[in-house]
Amino acid sequence: MDINAFILFWAAIFTSNILLTNFLGMCSYLSISREVESSFGLGMAVFFVLTVTAGLNWVIYYHILVPFDLIYLQFIVFIIVIAAFVQLLEMLIERFTPALYYTLGIFLPLITVNCAIFGVSLFLVIRKYSFIQSVAYGAGSGIGWLLAILMLAGIRNRLKEKMIPQGLQGAGISLIVTGIMALAFIGFSGIVIVQ
Amino acid sequence: MKQTPQELLVTQRMQPGVITLSGFLGIDQRPLNEIIADDAQTLLRLDITAPEIAERMQYLTDQSQQAYEGGIIIDGSYEVETEITRGKLPCPFLHRGLQRKTVTTCTHLTTGITIRWTALNIHMIKEHGFFEGKGSPFRLEPGTLIKVLFPDAAHRS
Amino acid sequence: MFVSIIQDIGITSLVSGGLALILVIAQRYLNDYGDCKIDINGKRLITLKGGSSLLNALSENQIFIPSACGGKGSCGTCKCQVLEGGGPLLPTEKPLLTTKEMTGNVRLACQIKVKSDVRIHIPESIFNIRRFQGVVSKIEDYTYDIKGVIITLTEPETIDFKAGQYVQLETPIYAKVRQKVGRAYSISSDPGNDRQIQLIIRYVPEGICTTWVHQYLNEGDQISFTGPYGDFFIRDTSADMIFVAGGSGKAPIKSILEYLSRVGTTRRMRYLFGARTCKDLYLTGEMHAFEQVFDDFEYIPVLSKPCPEENWQGRIGYVMPVFPELITDPANTEAYLCGSPAMIESVKKALIELGVPKDRIYYDSFG
Repeated sequence: MDINAFILFWAAIFTSNILLTNFLGMCSYLSISREVESSFGLGMAVFFVLTVTAGLNWVIYYHILVPFDLIYLQFIVFIIVIAAFVQLLEMLIERFTPALYYTLGIFLPLITVNCAIFGVSLFLVIRKYSFIQSVAYGAGSGIGWLLAILMLAGIRNRLKEKMIPQGLQGAGISLIVTGIMALAFIGFSGIVIVQ
Repeated sequence: MKQTPQELLVTQRMQPGVITLSGFLGIDQRPLNEIIADDAQTLLRLDITAPEIAERMQYLTDQSQQAYEGGIIIDGSYEVETEITRGKLPCPFLHRGLQRKTVTTCTHLTTGITIRWTALNIHMIKEHGFFEGKGSPFRLEPGTLIKVLFPDAAHRS
Repeated sequence: MFVSIIQDIGITSLVSGGLALILVIAQRYLNDYGDCKIDINGKRLITLKGGSSLLNALSENQIFIPSACGGKGSCGTCKCQVLEGGGPLLPTEKPLLTTKEMTGNVRLACQIKVKSDVRIHIPESIFNIRRFQGVVSKIEDYTYDIKGVIITLTEPETIDFKAGQYVQLETPIYAKVRQKVGRAYSISSDPGNDRQIQLIIRYVPEGICTTWVHQYLNEGDQISFTGPYGDFFIRDTSADMIFVAGGSGKAPIKSILEYLSRVGTTRRMRYLFGARTCKDLYLTGEMHAFEQVFDDFEYIPVLSKPCPEENWQGRIGYVMPVFPELITDPANTEAYLCGSPAMIESVKKALIELGVPKDRIYYDSFG
């Protein structure tokens, strides 16, 4: 892929938002979007982990898996790397910023199983991004995810006082809201092509 | 529905012997968010909000504490008594502040229905929409609660 | 074929092994805080290995900050002033601190981990607090819901406390209760007997500790507590005294009276006990007996709701209307109150209206 990393970064936020165009990372997106504050904490954690694991997995893929012909093991290896990094991050945060650890700490383990993070690692392989592109794409996707969950949390906050048909309350209305948000984001598409 | 670590932590604090002897969940097997969601449905059907209920409970509790000791008749239709014991309890939802250990007993004189609640009950209804799990010693059925607290509005249901 | 399988397994293991190694090294490096010093009031210096909570670090060194929940961060009683080395305020502390406390460096000792040198300030009286082991030597029923429990100390064998102070009883793991909790009760016996203490405990529905005392505790059982705590104790002046108690609030007053009867006093004293019915009265004989011991003492129980069949001869109503006839010299009167917050509020108001100086009203408000 020949695309400027800077453009790719913005594209990952708007034109091909990992959540709103690929619908990845839905589980935690739906369950932790009730309050703006906690969704911001989770979003920040996702952003950070995405940026770093995208780079890490790129290095591991091109310098270990490809030379040794182990590409068929990429799923397992990527997951191991993500899990280990989340663990390490948890320890570092606990040691150096205990206050952040308590706000963010409980969301960190959830991130290991967030498919947006795994998805980004797979995309950067499929789309043959360079290292710089991978990190930019990871960071952009993270911010995109943060943006999406913040918007949903804001909207859900407003929906609390609205009359919603019984069967649609909770996850139902959230999915409809997400769908409409995704439609709005289609407006950005076509500006840059990332895949 | 899946539970967040926060909800799991709160559920853990609601177990017997952590904050109170019998805990807050009784024999209820449902996850915490379902208990709250189900009661929220009931409130919606009855056309009332949790803060409104809590405000009314707080009013009766405050009035009854004007009495130095023993019960008091409030607004000619309730006999209310609040007993206070030493100590304070934290909110299982990790909320700011501590609640006094109080038990308010309220009898609606027309219907004769008696209900009782604690300061923690009021707090949890107001801030978290939580009426405790089924079978808990201080479970408050929203239906009964409204019948007692808002007898005039009961026909709305 | 075979070689490539081995190679694949080897590489994968190497990658995961490498990551595991990084984690292990990180764990070792990050969790080692080395030796840390705790400076208490600039008087005592404790050196210990870092990593544990401040509350535990102090209790291992025989300094007991009051704590009711056992370090779970849910009761907020283990507040202490951390002047240095406490780190940023944690979200688990915020719910339990007032804005004033936050600006005054007050923290929860159970939430702070000792990771560097720490400088703290605690009230002097905390140095006097110890953990005691004892045996329950007697349990008496005073009313349908109040019990008196006498504990004989075994380790250490004596306790030094002021009449009116309280101790914190530790509830063991029993029935549905799966963790230890601590609950505060006033000592009701004379500090002159330093080998035994008596507690008066009223049953509270759903109470973790009172349920244990009322339904599970037997004579001969082992029991442990920490103490003494509190600043509700007799002031050594010559002013008149009025005691007002309600419910189980009789405990500290009983201790004060027993103490005074031992050391002797000529001060004018009146003791009002507010209860609802005759069923709630207890130790009446003992209290009236003090009228013979002291020169100028009177015990006046007041019932708010005596049942007709009880044939109550004494006073009826609340205690406040009785004040004017008991307090002859308001400006020279000390008041000692013990009971529920609502009772203390109304009694305090009535006393101030009568002219009792505000700073001479001492009380032990529940919680």
